[in-house]
Amino acid sequence: MKDFTHVQAETGLATHPVAEMYAQEHKAGKLDRREFLVRSTALGLSAAAAYSLIGATPAAADGHRAVPAAGGTLRIQQEVRALKDPRTYDWSQMANITRGFVEYLIQYNEDGSFEGVLLDSWEANEDATVYTLNLRQGVMWNNGDAFTAEDVAANFIGWCDSTVEGNSMSTRMGGLVDPDTGVAREGAIEVVDDHTVRVTYPAPDITLIPGIADYPSAVQHRDLIGTNPADHGVGTGAYEITNYEVGVSATLTRKADHEYWGETYLDEIVFVDLGQDPAAWFAGAESDEFDMTYETVGEFVDLFAAIGWTQSEVTTAATVVIRPNQNNAPYDDVRVRQAIAMAVDNQVCLDLGINGQGITAQNHHVCPIHPEYADVPALAFDPDGARALLEESGNADFEFELISIDDDYRKNTTDAVGAQLRDAGFNVTRTIIPGSTFWNDWANYPFSSTNWNHRELGVQVLNLAYRSGVPWNESGFANEEFDTLLDQANGIQDADARREIMAQIETIMVNEGVTIQPYWRSLFRHYKAGIVNADMHPKFEINVHYLGFEA
Amino acid sequence: MDLLTWTGQFGSFLNPLILASVVIFLAGFFTNFVLTVAGVRPGELEIQGDGTMAINSTPADYALATMKYAVLLFVLCCIGYIIGGLVLPTMEQKGIFGAVGQRFLPVWIALIVTFALSITFKRRLGLYGKLFDSLIGMIGFGLVMFWVFSAIFASLVAPFDALDQISSMRNEVPGTPTPEGEAFSHYLFGGDRLGRDVFSRMVLGSTYVLQIAPLATLFAFMVGITLGLPAGYIGGKLDTVLTFVANLVLAFPVILLFYLLVTPEIVQAGVPQYMSMVLFLFPIIFLVVLFNSRYHTQPTIRNVLVGIAAVVGFWLYFSLISDRANLDSAVRFWPESVDLFNIPGNLLIVFVSVVFVNSPTVFRIVRGITLDVKTRDYVAAAQTRGEGPWYIMLWEILPNARGPLIVDFCLRIGYTTILLGTLGFFGLGLSPESPDWGSTINEGRRLLTVYPHPALPPALALMSLVLGLNLLADGLREESLKD
Amino acid sequence: MGAFILRRTGVMILTALCLTFVVFFLTNLFPNLEKLAKTQGNARMTDEEVVSWLDSNGYGGPMILRYGEWLGVVPGWTREDEETGEITGRCIDFGMDPADAPTRCGLLQGDLGFSTVSDDEVGNIIGGRLQLTGILMFWAFALMVPAALLVGVLAGMREGSRLDRSLSTFSIASTATPEYVSGVIFIVFLASSTTGLSPMLVELGWLDSGTLFLGSARSAMENITFWNFFLPVVTIALYGMGYIARMTRASMAEVMTAQYIRTARLKGVNFRSIVMKHALRNALIAPFTVIMLQFPWLLTGVVIVETLFNYNGFGWTMVQAASNNDIELLLACSIVAVFVVLVTQLISDIGYVFLNPRIRIA
Repeated sequence: MKDFTHVQAETGLATHPVAEMYAQEHKAGKLDRREFLVRSTALGLSAAAAYSLIGATPAAADGHRAVPAAGGTLRIQQEVRALKDPRTYDWSQMANITRGFVEYLIQYNEDGSFEGVLLDSWEANEDATVYTLNLRQGVMWNNGDAFTAEDVAANFIGWCDSTVEGNSMSTRMGGLVDPDTGVAREGAIEVVDDHTVRVTYPAPDITLIPGIADYPSAVQHRDLIGTNPADHGVGTGAYEITNYEVGVSATLTRKADHEYWGETYLDEIVFVDLGQDPAAWFAGAESDEFDMTYETVGEFVDLFAAIGWTQSEVTTAATVVIRPNQNNAPYDDVRVRQAIAMAVDNQVCLDLGINGQGITAQNHHVCPIHPEYADVPALAFDPDGARALLEESGNADFEFELISIDDDYRKNTTDAVGAQLRDAGFNVTRTIIPGSTFWNDWANYPFSSTNWNHRELGVQVLNLAYRSGVPWNESGFANEEFDTLLDQANGIQDADARREIMAQIETIMVNEGVTIQPYWRSLFRHYKAGIVNADMHPKFEINVHYLGFEA
Repeated sequence: MDLLTWTGQFGSFLNPLILASVVIFLAGFFTNFVLTVAGVRPGELEIQGDGTMAINSTPADYALATMKYAVLLFVLCCIGYIIGGLVLPTMEQKGIFGAVGQRFLPVWIALIVTFALSITFKRRLGLYGKLFDSLIGMIGFGLVMFWVFSAIFASLVAPFDALDQISSMRNEVPGTPTPEGEAFSHYLFGGDRLGRDVFSRMVLGSTYVLQIAPLATLFAFMVGITLGLPAGYIGGKLDTVLTFVANLVLAFPVILLFYLLVTPEIVQAGVPQYMSMVLFLFPIIFLVVLFNSRYHTQPTIRNVLVGIAAVVGFWLYFSLISDRANLDSAVRFWPESVDLFNIPGNLLIVFVSVVFVNSPTVFRIVRGITLDVKTRDYVAAAQTRGEGPWYIMLWEILPNARGPLIVDFCLRIGYTTILLGTLGFFGLGLSPESPDWGSTINEGRRLLTVYPHPALPPALALMSLVLGLNLLADGLREESLKD
Repeated sequence: MGAFILRRTGVMILTALCLTFVVFFLTNLFPNLEKLAKTQGNARMTDEEVVSWLDSNGYGGPMILRYGEWLGVVPGWTREDEETGEITGRCIDFGMDPADAPTRCGLLQGDLGFSTVSDDEVGNIIGGRLQLTGILMFWAFALMVPAALLVGVLAGMREGSRLDRSLSTFSIASTATPEYVSGVIFIVFLASSTTGLSPMLVELGWLDSGTLFLGSARSAMENITFWNFFLPVVTIALYGMGYIARMTRASMAEVMTAQYIRTARLKGVNFRSIVMKHALRNALIAPFTVIMLQFPWLLTGVVIVETLFNYNGFGWTMVQAASNNDIELLLACSIVAVFVVLVTQLISDIGYVFLNPRIRIA
């Protein structure tokens, strides 16, 4: 087996000055191993090298993936949505299907490390402004072209194009986008040779690597940027779509005349869409309709375990926010927002919403597992104070319409918030919108709940969801001081130095009552015994190339 | 405190009895079935040579008698559980059935009083009294009245509020004790997935169902009668057009119509409100025409009655359709100070949709009956007397059509209940937290295979109510045919 | 007879036109279009952007003209982009030369349009789904009709007997049990691995593991077995059965009191052959029309059952299309539904005339 972790261990960076600093922090107990891995591999260290820096055995990084037997058909329960330009993907489910043929430069592993896929290795300069990306040799597109640096550069330029409607990659590219033109900065992306690309930031930026490991960053053929991969099927991966019925199922079959650069095992993968109701998934499992869940939620975690499926758990920074949108009255009044936050006990949301499967959070959307986390408490739980504050703002009679999607944990959590608000004397009506229509307008509801996936660094989600005017800013939060502080934090590599800024940022988040963010979720997945490499991923990624049945 | 058993202390001797009754019933049923297949007929009355009558008993008769006694035993045991619930002191001794029986005490009393009075005076009560001659009709009436009284006494029967949550009671099985200091010591039918009492929600749900279904049916009848009478009586172009429109609505798949009418965007565009403006006009027209045609020879009485009907009718009408709470509402031309009441938006929409779907069927029935009745002699007599067409329709034809209409009314309430449940099942109905049965079934079905207890009580409740209405209609039909 | 069918067909077409226009009207109300624009384009569009998006995607202009386009009687819209000169239009598929495109493309041309949610031609989607529902309906009818007729005939042949009483009560109970109630009860008792029959069977060793019946009919889409398809079929059949059975009973009871049956009985013909030879044929005329009229009713049942059992047929598609405001898919669904309703009405009328010797239509 050609294990690419191994390849990278040979060719990746041996060390990096900042990584060494992280290693010392880790040894001093300031960083746990997972955080250390995230950050040092983000700087271009191979996982093995990172492990060796802290004196752990590289074996822990190597060969963490078992070798399944060749062949077989695996059925995965997962929504099948209409595909589109990968840059505009808004669901990891879309990427899980297309990952079978359009691959990624880098992938984020379950243990928090980064690993090259189409990249052989990468390194950053000392102040994290210049990144050199070395491409894997011998990768072919399934239309016969060779995969070269031109492809990577074209993709970068595509990702930076913020004029494309719904391109969420442009926010991830940060300083590479010229704010005046809205496209890639002149000279930011250089092709050094056939297999090397250099990316230059105007200011230090540490989010490039997590950014290009994220699910919308699928690498398309240089002539096909901006197209829907389902329409042309050109990619570097081993599979092709042989059936695609939105809302029903999708099938990936191994492409016959294409020589894949890596190893792959399954002959066929079927994605079975059983809708958004976890009870339907469970009924499907009892009826033997699939072999592996995309995600198991709530009480179904125990239920799947009870019918004998293997459980895989990962702790993440995935969460739910119940946020007022400040563009709507009376949520533009900070007292109302604070009152809402004070009326809700996050522990109750955790217990009622997700059966306590997670840890409580403090309403600032930075997770203890993020390297730059600063321990800023949420506003104290005080229903009487909340009521007083609400009356003071003159909105005591306002009818709070609390909206949520019609699905298990998000609905339960929102119900728990609604009940607590009622207990504190708020007038609350609950509106539940079916999953099929909820997302049409999710960012604009006046007061609603949204689930947010795991992100590797604390600043990432803040950049995506709370910076003034960004597309996913669902709380309508616009705060100049916050934006400035966030810019600063984006450029600081040292976790302790960044933590000081983060403490200020988190305090603003809490005091402004931007959102209720009650808990951090553990994610679960279940699969039948004998399936290999199907472990839950913090970002729900499924790489069909690795999956297989036990040898 | 421990988990309650289903049957409590009396269970120790009632359970074997009830089991025995079921076994005997099944044995009787199979024997009967086998005998019937083998060609053995129940005995028939025979007039014997000496002039006396005797029943020639066959084995089939004995099998049937066994079944009858088994049913009797079963009913007695059920009453036993309820009595146990009333007389035994502690919850453990009562058991779940006993405790439920005790909660329903006001309903039992009301039922007993109703039946006692009705049976005593049944000869003076017309068609209603005749109902008590038919066992089927009585069973149906009993089931319906059980739920009617439950709805009336809901706040007495239900130990908890529909939205009371006890977080430790999530998905707990029936008979689980609640923590100290709660309103009632147990969740009799367990807790749902949000820790609410399934029993209370079932009882409180009956008020929703029994308010909306009969009222919506009544409105549908007003619309159907107001249009069906002239269509059948006058006929011609009017009939052609109205029948075409009715068939149009009938050809619409109900579920598609609901999806189209109840989605937020359509509501935002005000379509259901415009529909309600049209549909709710019919009861007023109906009443005004009714009084006008009757008393048009006595202008004073006519003016008073028509005036009252019009004023009260329009006041209610405008209160109903104008939406006080919503400033952006499509219909809001009525000052808040005189707006009597406000119907929550989605309730109005559900109501309108149900009326809209039911009216054409009523229209067809009324039209059919009118076509039949207008050939009768008394109609011809009224025409010769020179009565106006509306008088003939409303005061000659309609009263003579009441039999089939009453029967259909009962059936249609049942059908409307099912329809409301369907709406709830698709999450289109009332507010998602409402305890109405359809929504609760929909909520409970998600975890059905693991926790069946939240979905079953509302499902069985809905089924028993509709069954009761059907049996009642059957009893009424049978008795009215005997005339 | 010919004129009758012709007139009926005319009324049918008129009805279909009215109904599709109503659906078209409701799905094309401005709030719906606004939602469509925001889903397809960008959730943060301003009102002007929404209007211009709608214009450039053919949703502008009078509704009646767009309805004509959809029907295929009015030429499809075309629009030339002012900057690029690119011509887009209703009938111009992606990558097609505008010159080659047909001028009209609507229902009459066999083009049902494009599903915005599924990103596919409506025609491609709906065919397979209809087939799945057809299979479900077929089995439901195959179970429901014989059972209902049997129950009805048995009950009606001796009106007022105990057999009649118990069978009538059974039919009433079955009409009082809507699909969502019976489906729920069936799943609990037959298809749950924790309650009802399945755990008992597992304990007794008669069942390996899992459940007796399957609570989800998904696998029946590819491979129908008794265990994965019985519950949905019986759920649909049960609700419809009671009504047909009651109609059959009433009709049978009426026939049994007719003069010729009385004559036959008095002549001493035995009961069995009276029922089989004389009563049955006449008693089945009324149920026939009722059975045909059951089709539209079954549609609601199909929607419920397909949702409950996760069977991706026509009913499921309709629910998805309606809740996603997938306009053209929904229109296609309603065309199919209305067509089914009207055709069954027509068949029921014609069949009634053919079966009933007393009715002759000139």
